[in-house]
Amino acid sequence: MAEVARETDWDALSQDQLDAMERKIAAKYMGHFPLGIVLWGFANTAVWLALWPLVLMGVMPLWLAFPIAVFNVCAAYLPSHDAQHSIVAREGHKLRWLNELLGHVSLIPFAAPFRYLRHTHFEHHTHANDPALDPDYDVHAQSRRDFFRKALLRMQPGDTKGQQAYPAALKRVGKEHLVLEALAVRAVYVLVLFGMAWSGHAIEAALLWWIPILISQVYIRYYLSWKPHHPGKDTGRYQDTSAFRSALGNVGSSGMQYHIVHHLYPRIPLMQTPAAYRELRPILERRGCDLGEL
Amino acid sequence: MIEKLVKLLFSPVTFALAFLAPLFAQILDALALSLPIASNLTLAFIVAGTWGLMAQLRGSWIWLK
Repeated sequence: MAEVARETDWDALSQDQLDAMERKIAAKYMGHFPLGIVLWGFANTAVWLALWPLVLMGVMPLWLAFPIAVFNVCAAYLPSHDAQHSIVAREGHKLRWLNELLGHVSLIPFAAPFRYLRHTHFEHHTHANDPALDPDYDVHAQSRRDFFRKALLRMQPGDTKGQQAYPAALKRVGKEHLVLEALAVRAVYVLVLFGMAWSGHAIEAALLWWIPILISQVYIRYYLSWKPHHPGKDTGRYQDTSAFRSALGNVGSSGMQYHIVHHLYPRIPLMQTPAAYRELRPILERRGCDLGEL
Repeated sequence: MIEKLVKLLFSPVTFALAFLAPLFAQILDALALSLPIASNLTLAFIVAGTWGLMAQLRGSWIWLK
């Protein structure tokens, strides 16, 4: 296929032929078992969980555990993201349980509810950059500086606008009950923090969970939401997101340099998006996509 | 009733008293700092409680909103 792509005279193809070629390339990357992200999700949570006894028993110093915890919490979302799109196994598949288990377990360090994020994320895909319907629209900011200012304000308890976007999206799709799941997960999170604090381990709880979550919320919103959708003014299949070159590289940006591939074909596993992008690039160019410097 | 409990659980004042106060006290203890007028926990309660109350009333931990 790669050789076919290289030898193709793209400008000679009709729109229908481009469509067919695009779908054919995308199909090549879908349907494979994403072993890497499955291992990543379970191992990441296991490492983060192991930090607690290691620190509490004095085996690992807190100064070393803290950056590891920050890494774990920042890395917790992406395996669940693949599971949200049923990339491990679709409904009815014999490994469906693994898909759902990965979604729930990988989010433990991030203290976030899997199904709540899944259905709000679907709404983001359906309405990307729509000011009224995209639940992630509030992340948009005119500049990087503006993004960080808004991120700080979004963490404040009085930021009801940002806090209401997800419940409103769930209400539209008839999944309001998932708000209860979200509340339950967050309740467990704060009760663990309170319990740790009153049993004399407040500093450990702060450095292994509370502060890593605060950092990861900014990181994840920056790379998974703001950057790939900036400036976020256009809607439409080929215009609502873009490719970009990150100063931190593809790994440092959580694989989001190729976010455009994800929006076009959400069932392509995260780890396959760079290769899919390289093959799709000539087509995306002809679609008028914003491909940055990538 | 349940709604009130949920609001209480996630309120800034609860977070301040249930988490920040012991956190501040344990940081002071770890740094071996103390004031003669009050215990570290009392001091931490006053600071965290005041901060939490401000966040509750203002809707912001950092005053800006």
